[in-house]
Amino acid sequence: MDELDTPVFPAPKALLMQVPCLNLRKAPANGVAAASTVPTSEPNSNVSAFDIAVPGSLPVFQPAVVLPALRAAIVLGCHIEPVSYFDRKHYFYHDQPAGYQITQYYHPFARDGLVTLTSDDGLEAGQEVEVYIKQVQLEQDTARSQEEDEHTTLIDFNRCGQALVEIISLPNLHSPRDAAAYVRKVQSLLYAVDAVTTGMEHGGLRADVNVSVRRRDGDSDRSFEYSGVSGLGRRTEIKNLSTLKGIEDAIKAERDRQIRLLESGGVVQPETRGWSLTHPHETRRLRGKEGEVDYRYLPDADIPPLSFDLDLISHVARSMPPTPAVLVRHLVQHYGLSVKDARILESLDDGERLIYFQEVVAELLSLHDYEVNEINVGKIAVNWVLFEVGSLFSTDESTWSRDKIPAKSLAEIIHQLRKNAITGASAKLILRLIFDGDSRRVSEIIRQEKLMYVGMSPETYETIAKDIMQNHPQEVKDIVEKGKIGKLKFLMGQMMRHPRRSEMSAPEAEKALRRLLLGEKS
Amino acid sequence: MDEFGMGSHSTNSAYGEVFNGLKDGPTGGKALSVGGSSGGSALAVASGLAHVGIGTDTGGSIRLPAAYMSLVGFKPSYGQISRKGVVPYANSLDTVGIVAKTVPDIWLTYGASAHPIIEILQKPDDNDPTCLTFSSRERIKVAMLRRKAAVLGSKWLLVPSNRRPEKNEVLIPRETRRKLQNRFLSQRKWTRRIGVPLEYNIEEMHPLVRWAWTATLSHLEGLGCEIVPISLPSTRHALSSYYILAPAEASSNLAKYDGVRYGARRDEVADDADGTLYSRFRAAHLGPEVKRRILLGTYSLSAGAMDNYFIQAQKIRRMVQRDFDSVFRMPNPLQEDAELNMDGVDFIVVPTAPSPPPRLRHVKTATPLESYVNDVFTVPASLAGLPAISVPGPRHPDHPWQPEVAVGMQVIGQYGDDYDVLHLADNYLTDFHDPNTLSRTQQTKVMS
Repeated sequence: MDELDTPVFPAPKALLMQVPCLNLRKAPANGVAAASTVPTSEPNSNVSAFDIAVPGSLPVFQPAVVLPALRAAIVLGCHIEPVSYFDRKHYFYHDQPAGYQITQYYHPFARDGLVTLTSDDGLEAGQEVEVYIKQVQLEQDTARSQEEDEHTTLIDFNRCGQALVEIISLPNLHSPRDAAAYVRKVQSLLYAVDAVTTGMEHGGLRADVNVSVRRRDGDSDRSFEYSGVSGLGRRTEIKNLSTLKGIEDAIKAERDRQIRLLESGGVVQPETRGWSLTHPHETRRLRGKEGEVDYRYLPDADIPPLSFDLDLISHVARSMPPTPAVLVRHLVQHYGLSVKDARILESLDDGERLIYFQEVVAELLSLHDYEVNEINVGKIAVNWVLFEVGSLFSTDESTWSRDKIPAKSLAEIIHQLRKNAITGASAKLILRLIFDGDSRRVSEIIRQEKLMYVGMSPETYETIAKDIMQNHPQEVKDIVEKGKIGKLKFLMGQMMRHPRRSEMSAPEAEKALRRLLLGEKS
Repeated sequence: MDEFGMGSHSTNSAYGEVFNGLKDGPTGGKALSVGGSSGGSALAVASGLAHVGIGTDTGGSIRLPAAYMSLVGFKPSYGQISRKGVVPYANSLDTVGIVAKTVPDIWLTYGASAHPIIEILQKPDDNDPTCLTFSSRERIKVAMLRRKAAVLGSKWLLVPSNRRPEKNEVLIPRETRRKLQNRFLSQRKWTRRIGVPLEYNIEEMHPLVRWAWTATLSHLEGLGCEIVPISLPSTRHALSSYYILAPAEASSNLAKYDGVRYGARRDEVADDADGTLYSRFRAAHLGPEVKRRILLGTYSLSAGAMDNYFIQAQKIRRMVQRDFDSVFRMPNPLQEDAELNMDGVDFIVVPTAPSPPPRLRHVKTATPLESYVNDVFTVPASLAGLPAISVPGPRHPDHPWQPEVAVGMQVIGQYGDDYDVLHLADNYLTDFHDPNTLSRTQQTKVMS
């Protein structure tokens, strides 16, 4: 029985060039020719002479590409080469107007990185997969082609020539799920350091996956070596996968196809295959590789070498935003959050929710007149920031804004709640009011809406409790004689339905019941 | 011109051959080759249709036509003139060049930093990444100043940089400095050392060419230059290296001609049934010499041949560059720590072509390889990116002048030394003959 062993070669490409409408900080420029990179829907409306290989046009390297590329390589753990060169990779295809692609084959700008996948990234508990990155290189994008019918293909050159970063991994991935997890992780790392314009869903990241299988036992189907890893079966390439699910499904489809082929005595041909959403269980041959195409790599004589100052590399590395893993760890250790809450907080609203949370905690600390630290208030703050505040935004279907409920106001609400000056219900009410635009200060709202919690005395609680107990003699009997403590909750519920419930605090009510029923001292 | 600049006689054209000799026509017995690949520009200048001609010199394509047509053909240092708009043949060799009747005409078009005429062609261009930037041009100036200072025994060196002056350097206002530098650089009286490379004295050299060479050297000696024999050992491999490297780059640069976005109209199915793209179209629309060089280049870049051909050719190219650096006095401004070589020469003077212009009917029966040999003297300067100019050589007193005996003499300088190369050509190599003794018909270069 064949084991699936898919040394997978995902080569996700991240679109680097920043675009004014998506990210105002960076210069709009193409990778090697100065055409705008605004993603328009009008085909062939943003094309420079070099993009369509007009004779006499020359490539001009755009320096704006460099910083995002550096950040991407550093976050993937790569070593940055101080000098790298550009090469031409020759092949004829209608989406490659010059007949060659400018890339960095011999001397890429970054090598030898590592991405580690753990159960945090979707693997099984305790499982760990190390994916080595062979190299990260700058290269040109091809044009976009669209098959009208079997005789006609339409070509849009808008994105042709734009700079891409290609991340080539070694064949260390052995299941479709691991491959998808790897791509997801790479995407989140690139997002974290601002090296992508858009995500996969908008074409900002694409993956080309190489798939091969081999038998678990025996030596057949192990005669190929790719990127220095030997003992592999012959691989085929699936190009341009643009969703995570697609990656998984495509790999499964290709794996199954190769296994079927090998089991029936056939031989896997080196091919380029395609996969589409409409036929998720099969891959389709695009073009043959004919014993691996000879790309006749030639150093490009127009573009000068790319050399980095070592100071620049260390500066970029130092000033990079922390990765999600680092942020989560910080939240857990410093604020005492659970890993689950930390992960959610870190991922919301491009990190703004996290900053808001930190502001709320800082405000809370300044309000307290006794000794507290972040861990004391962290957990309660995160519940409010994530769930109470979060649900207000989501039911309203509005986008996050830190000005709707200023951090100071939220901190004040939480503070009053902790002091037992207001009840939980009142706190939520105040939150709602502020969200809806109430500009009064929290203390004003409390005073004017008469939300102060006037604590009832224990005797009043007991009076009410006795009232309830009288109405529910059966439950009392169950608790006192038969020890069914669960019924206490029922009586609690009844107490909280009492007309004076807004003045009651649930913990106090429970204490009163316990005193009366169980004789507990509180 | 030859299609895509590939050819030495301007005969590889879809529009017909260029030839010198109206009476007979191209197939007549007397028609001469105009040289290539920029033969059309040369002919236009020679026949008075244009004052100045522009072409590209990849392996000698400006200098060879200039020699055959008794004109002046100048190839600047690689990167002096922007290549934007030049249809590329071999990016690392293509150099825009100028052909004209006299050197002053070239000054006018080219411009040089030490010359008062404004720069027209010679200036930085952001659109061409291989065009020398402003700071590179300043570095060239420093190298020239160092050479001049060493030759004239001058103690002061006015450095045109924005660094702080060293201990024995004088700090003066920039404009004053610039004026002094220019005046210093344009000092004409200094003993120029002329190098004569032994390896250029090949067996195939036509006797008239050899005579012209020795006559030129005597002439220069009479004008006060020192003649110095030198050796450039890698010369004999330079031609082979060129014919590996240029076609290799050409096979890459010509891959874009597939008829999809521009070019001749497609009237048939583009792709072959088995999925081969474009080859039928390219076969139909590219000329035979072009196809030959593309195939040659593709082969030498292929995985099996790369190490034996392309890499080796690159190594030879590096050797050719090093040979030149070792004989020149001026340090190569492109090298970080290049030193002045006081035993070096300032210019190398050699013939431009091994023979006078051949008859077209002989050219047509020659094999491509025999055509390539015409480039043997021009290719080394191309490989090293050095400035080179071809001027009409001296006329043999015993042979009445006619276009069939035109011989061109070439001056090659160190990288960046364009100004002084032009200056030598202008002042030392144009007065072989008193122009007053030449009749009007003798002065024209075109056969009637």
